[in-house]
Amino acid sequence: MTGPLDDDELMALLGEAVAEEAAVSDRRRTAARAALTWRSVDAELAELLHDSALDAGAAVRSGSDEGGEPRTLSFGHSGLTLEVEVEGETLLGQVIAAGEAASVTEPASVMLERPDAHALSAEADASGFFRLEGVHPGTVRFVVEQGGWSLTTPWVML
Amino acid sequence: MDRFLPLVDAIIRGHRLSEADGDDVSQTVWLRLVEHLGDLREPAALPGWIRTTTRNECLRLLAARGRVRPVDPQDATGLDAVVDDVAGTDLLAAESRQLLREALAALPEARRALLLLLLADPPVGYEEISRRFGIPVGSIGPTRARALEQLRRTPALRRLVEVTP
Repeated sequence: MTGPLDDDELMALLGEAVAEEAAVSDRRRTAARAALTWRSVDAELAELLHDSALDAGAAVRSGSDEGGEPRTLSFGHSGLTLEVEVEGETLLGQVIAAGEAASVTEPASVMLERPDAHALSAEADASGFFRLEGVHPGTVRFVVEQGGWSLTTPWVML
Repeated sequence: MDRFLPLVDAIIRGHRLSEADGDDVSQTVWLRLVEHLGDLREPAALPGWIRTTTRNECLRLLAARGRVRPVDPQDATGLDAVVDDVAGTDLLAAESRQLLREALAALPEARRALLLLLLADPPVGYEEISRRFGIPVGSIGPTRARALEQLRRTPALRRLVEVTP
């Protein structure tokens, strides 16, 4: 902006600002309000340890519309680490327990939650591996439980 | 929350995401905000947090969809740098509009209502405005000028002058 705005310029900018507010879709308004219902009390969130989408050069894949490599993410919280790999609608993952959590003998259960759809769930095998099908793009988070240990991830977009 | 929806929208628009991806980013920003409500003690920090989170999520989604790479500090030239500049200008404009909406919200109800009516699309005629506000047609212009003067004195508009050199 150069120099002070005169009244007409200010009105024009106000018009744009007001129009922008009116243009917000009901869908986004509703989703924003619905987000409030996901407030979980005192849930300490797992840390995002790695996301392939944040790697430098992640998306420069010559000649491929599909992007080539699968998306990989890993999260950690206290004794548990969750690693997932998403390719198409298939998600392969592993829950790795360390330290005291490693002595737990029960299998890990994994839930993939969505703000606007039913959760998917899977039970990991003895090595901690699990598989989820029908994982379409969107905002998700994972909740892992294993013998008193648990991990809740921040929301991420797949 | 509602007052920042247009800002989030504007930043998403600046990144040229599809409508569906934009919905996902918007939803993710609000879900993230809910996660972080406990850490955000200073209300003044909220716009900056929302701006940064929205921008980061847009870039992350674009990267996940294989469309651009995250900014590489080693490579400040070429296409990435240009794209980043455009996003920076968009971001400033989006923030300016946010400050304008906040300034408008800070006005007394009657003045805000008059300005909104003058901005209405399709336009509302002066006779109709005169009738609704019970002021003579000849006073609408001067009343508008006073409302804009008051708008310029709001803290939000003073900040607008600071952020746009």
